[in-house]
Amino acid sequence: MVVTILEIILTIFLAGIIGLFFLGLSRKVMARMHWRYGPPITQPLIDIIKLFNQTNISHGVLFNFGIIFSLAGSIVVLLFIPLGKICPLSSSGGLLVILYLMLIGPLGLALSAGEASNPNASIGISRKFLLAMSYEIPLLLILLTVMTHYKTISIVEIVNTQLQTGWSFKYLPLIFSGIAYILILPAILGVRPFEMVQAPQEISSGPLAEYSGKYLALVTIQHAFNVFIGISLFTNLFLGGAENPGYLFLKMLGVFIIILLVNAVFPRFRIEQAIGYLWKLPTLLAFIGLIVVLVT
Amino acid sequence: MDRNKIGKWLKSPGKMGQKYSLHALYFCTGCGIIEIPPTITARWDAERFGVIPVATPRQANLFLITGYVSVKTLRYIIRSYEQMPEPKFTVGFGSCPINGGMYWDSYNTIKHLDKYIPIDGWIAGCMPRPEAVFIAVTHLWTLIDKGMANGYKKYRDNYQYYRKNQEQVLGKLEWPPLFSIKN
Repeated sequence: MVVTILEIILTIFLAGIIGLFFLGLSRKVMARMHWRYGPPITQPLIDIIKLFNQTNISHGVLFNFGIIFSLAGSIVVLLFIPLGKICPLSSSGGLLVILYLMLIGPLGLALSAGEASNPNASIGISRKFLLAMSYEIPLLLILLTVMTHYKTISIVEIVNTQLQTGWSFKYLPLIFSGIAYILILPAILGVRPFEMVQAPQEISSGPLAEYSGKYLALVTIQHAFNVFIGISLFTNLFLGGAENPGYLFLKMLGVFIIILLVNAVFPRFRIEQAIGYLWKLPTLLAFIGLIVVLVT
Repeated sequence: MDRNKIGKWLKSPGKMGQKYSLHALYFCTGCGIIEIPPTITARWDAERFGVIPVATPRQANLFLITGYVSVKTLRYIIRSYEQMPEPKFTVGFGSCPINGGMYWDSYNTIKHLDKYIPIDGWIAGCMPRPEAVFIAVTHLWTLIDKGMANGYKKYRDNYQYYRKNQEQVLGKLEWPPLFSIKN
């Protein structure tokens, strides 16, 4: 019991640190690719410290509740994903629970941003849900393929199998699903080709238009958790997971750098272009992967 | 720059956070818009000082007003300023917000911006070079350190004065007073 609680605290702490490090790293790498010097890598942490020391402007009870809801949803998803050997809630649920809970983050944010009744926020929310709808279909197919191939819904078992057989990304049955996951990963993380939810230049940062002070800080922390979830799910399912958090972090860093390169090069899609893209190539690849797994 | 001194962070995290995370809201009225893109992009890279542009006043704590302020714009400057969370810092950029500049006898611009909202610092020139923004930011750090960048406190204390000046130019304001007016 005590061990489980300690593991939960450790998971949340490590995920927060790694997520914030990734946010800082993304700003630094983007700056270096623009031939700028860039902010220090701790800049997101500095921002959060500042935001907690500002006055807070709330827009109603639902506004406060939605942020807590979204943050709680992200934290719960976090506990189901193994972080090396640390996986507090591994015995229950598994991939099915993650599938259900992954939508709670955007839902809570929509609930709270809707209370602020800013027109830009409404546009941002509608884009967020359209985007979620378009990446959830390939994601469902991918997770279904993985579950069918390993005949289990537990991520821990999948990781343990991969420790013996090698990365599932390298071998035929799951390589299509792995490629499809990489193709939809920018949409899950909300980085550049799919940045239309928070487009600061056209809809003034979308759902976040009315956030200030500690509310913005909590949303930033939720975003950090979200980045961690998206990448660590890929690492655990396709890159063989890891035996300790440090090794997992190195693998996640590699995946994240690839995503950053995509982020630095591409301009922003319009929302219908994004749906068109996500429902064509990644869905097709994920579907082929499912058929291959079913046949072999 | 004492950004890496952990002792200072532990002593006054709020002040250090405000210093090194200035989220700037650029209110580019007429001129001055051409100086801002080089400042925030590859040529002069404001992000290494922690200054990044944000799109909404709710997320900002540095308000940069560049160029002349017409009466119509003043209305939105005041509204944007009042929406920003405290502590907030304001910098007037260019000679027109200081004293009218070359529009000193124009019928539809205001001459002294600090009559309507409190200003923490000025950048003189018509137009100043983009480097001047960094000089302003480093001066602002000094002011924040000494506790002298207190325009938002002045606005709260002397709200009656500012509101009276605003109503003199704009007529009746359609939004309620931000703070209660003491009579």
